[in-house]
Amino acid sequence: MSTMAKSRWADDTDDAALEAQLKKEKEERKRQKADKARKLEEERLAREAAAAQAAKAASQGEQGEGGQDDANNAPRAKRRRLSPDRGTPAAGPAHESANSNSDSKLLRFEGGGTFGRCRSVENYDKLNDIEEGAYGWVARAQEAATGKVVALKRLKIDTTDRSGLPVTGLREIQILKDCDHRNVVKLQEVVVGEDTSRIENIFLVLEFVEHDLKSILEDMPEPFLASEVKTLLLQLASGVAYLHDNYILHRDLKTSNLLLNNRGQLKIADFGMARYVGDPPPKLTQLVVTLWYRAPELLLGAARYAQAIDMWSIGCIFGELLTREPLLQGKNEVDELTKIFELCGIPTEDSWPSFRRLPNARALRLPKTTTTKSLIRAKFPLLTSAGASLLNGLLALDPDCRPTAKDMLEHEYFRQDPKPKQEAMFPTFPSKAGQERRRRKTTPNAPIRGQAVELGAVDFSGIFSGRDKEERGGGFSLRMV
Amino acid sequence: MSHMTNPLATPDQLYQRRSFSALPTDLQDAIFFSTQCLTQAAGVLLQLPQAVAAQANVVLARYWLVEPFMSHEFSAVSAASLYLVAKLGPTPRSPRDVSNVYAYLLSASSSFFRSSSTTPPPANNPSSYYLSDGAYQRSHSRILELEARILYALGFNTHVSLPHPLAITYLQALDFLGTRKERIAGRALEYLNTALLSPQMLYLTSQPNALAVAAIYNAAKDVGAKMPECEWWEVFDVDREELGFLVVGMRSVEGWARKMREDIPRMAECMLTRRIVENEMERRGLHTGNGHGVSSAYTLDPEAELARKMDEKIAQIEEND
Repeated sequence: MSTMAKSRWADDTDDAALEAQLKKEKEERKRQKADKARKLEEERLAREAAAAQAAKAASQGEQGEGGQDDANNAPRAKRRRLSPDRGTPAAGPAHESANSNSDSKLLRFEGGGTFGRCRSVENYDKLNDIEEGAYGWVARAQEAATGKVVALKRLKIDTTDRSGLPVTGLREIQILKDCDHRNVVKLQEVVVGEDTSRIENIFLVLEFVEHDLKSILEDMPEPFLASEVKTLLLQLASGVAYLHDNYILHRDLKTSNLLLNNRGQLKIADFGMARYVGDPPPKLTQLVVTLWYRAPELLLGAARYAQAIDMWSIGCIFGELLTREPLLQGKNEVDELTKIFELCGIPTEDSWPSFRRLPNARALRLPKTTTTKSLIRAKFPLLTSAGASLLNGLLALDPDCRPTAKDMLEHEYFRQDPKPKQEAMFPTFPSKAGQERRRRKTTPNAPIRGQAVELGAVDFSGIFSGRDKEERGGGFSLRMV
Repeated sequence: MSHMTNPLATPDQLYQRRSFSALPTDLQDAIFFSTQCLTQAAGVLLQLPQAVAAQANVVLARYWLVEPFMSHEFSAVSAASLYLVAKLGPTPRSPRDVSNVYAYLLSASSSFFRSSSTTPPPANNPSSYYLSDGAYQRSHSRILELEARILYALGFNTHVSLPHPLAITYLQALDFLGTRKERIAGRALEYLNTALLSPQMLYLTSQPNALAVAAIYNAAKDVGAKMPECEWWEVFDVDREELGFLVVGMRSVEGWARKMREDIPRMAECMLTRRIVENEMERRGLHTGNGHGVSSAYTLDPEAELARKMDEKIAQIEEND
């Protein structure tokens, strides 16, 4: 047998011997473990007994029986130290107080989580493309293991860019990873392409939300009700308040970046422009925010700006929700400014004191004839006065005069009738991203000239078959199966 | 939202690193220490704020808990992590600058790894750190490749919160700043910066608040400042056990580094490279894998290890037959 070339896995005596040996070893280990456990248990019992004894002795000592030195010493030696000062030779001064308040409860910082390799995109099955455009590629997909539907957003990578992965993409990932709020889209994880020898395909796994606000506005036959506008604005404000609370500027709020699910929940998405800013804010680039939603201080070249630029965008979105049309559709920066001044009035020393000091404002020639009064009230005649005052505030030319997101949540407008509609009562819409858009009933095309369609030998008799199985009733019949 | 906390290493990650790497522990520690020093030096030469260099240290430490030491050249990983962290912050540096600085630090002209007391400073010989076009292109590509690699290994989580600002706030709260303010604050920051180099990976096992408190404790001891007579660390949510561990951990780095320099003399002469580590392994008669395929051979997963043991056992039994 030993001469034969045998398989390592062949079931022969060698294996049996090995198995026996392994088994023996295992049993030996088990025995040792049991021994150890028993010993520990014994020790514990002994310790408890000693402690109990000591406690008894101590209480006796308290009752005034003097001369029990060793008994009195025992509890001190045995006293339980929750956190032993091993290795802290210097931890002297606080020893005595250590016991008295060892029960104090420490507030723990919330754990920061862990880190580890990305998973592969192969864990997801693609369902359909959602959009492919300037923002890169987004698809609806399903996690194979759980069946959960998600949105996969591919990080756009320019391979000719010799500065590596795009910093905006990395910022977006970091900010979304840090955020946890019901009105901010959730990033589940980041996955990479199958070939991990070169990291070239990077996908963000985002929660799938059925709609974006822009396509809903474009498709809806009637504008949102006042109560619905309030619900949407409240959610938007609470999401933005969360971001601002955490030192995040979104810098690209617009209706196409606001998602809405079928439960009436609004979620802020697309953090490609977002970044963390300190307080006071550092110098930042002015090339942010889509033109139609860009605040006047950005257009005038302010290098230092803050949360108020997001509030301006919210104002533009507010107007758009009311009319279903973007509020200020400038063709370029100058045209945008003109449209802003037409709507909000020309800035004066009173309405925006620091305005003349902005870089692009010096060269600006303002028409003398146009009014310095805001036309917002006139443009939205159906808005209540509280609503108009909120919109006026959000679209204040002076960024310091705009309300913060927190102020906005407290605004009178949301307390007046009609009250904000409950999210659950929101109407639903066919989802473009979920490929429900084409639900529109397709009518057959007009007949094409030419040969008349021949029906051929079609048997229509089936239509009326089985009538004898029908229950006969008053006016109509039910078929019993 | 976690502005004040960090993702920490899991016990599994720490265990894997220590138990299943073919590199002996002292070499692992030496690689860790010298690469972290290199990162700091490069941060200085690139005129980056210490916050950036410190974050790069932490990112690098995390990376090496996920990926094996030997899979890439140590200095290249250091350069990539510094490049990445600088890029994400307000002070980006170009790949050109980063490549130049590392070329200088690794050249014979740099005095960085030479102990100043024993040898005279090396002559400045510009040709020793001149980066040819081809060499620069290679260095540039390696930085970009490793940048993606690091992000992949960390699951794209680059968040690092440092204990330094917390330490200053705590010092204010403790009213330590009233007396000998520069000394105690400076000393605390020194402890925090030293802890970045510790192969015990303190920044991966403790949250910033604990690190800040331990550094303050050590600094106050060193300066002889009077500390509150109660368990003041509990105010900052640090318990006694963790504080004790960190206090010792932070104090031990200096002595440990000195001893290691004696044990591995090469450390005092130049930056450790993969080649030096391989040679050292051979000198010790340790298995270094088969030449170029070292990277994968250095970390065995537990299952492979078990399979190997079983094979040996079977061979033994067969011999006995």
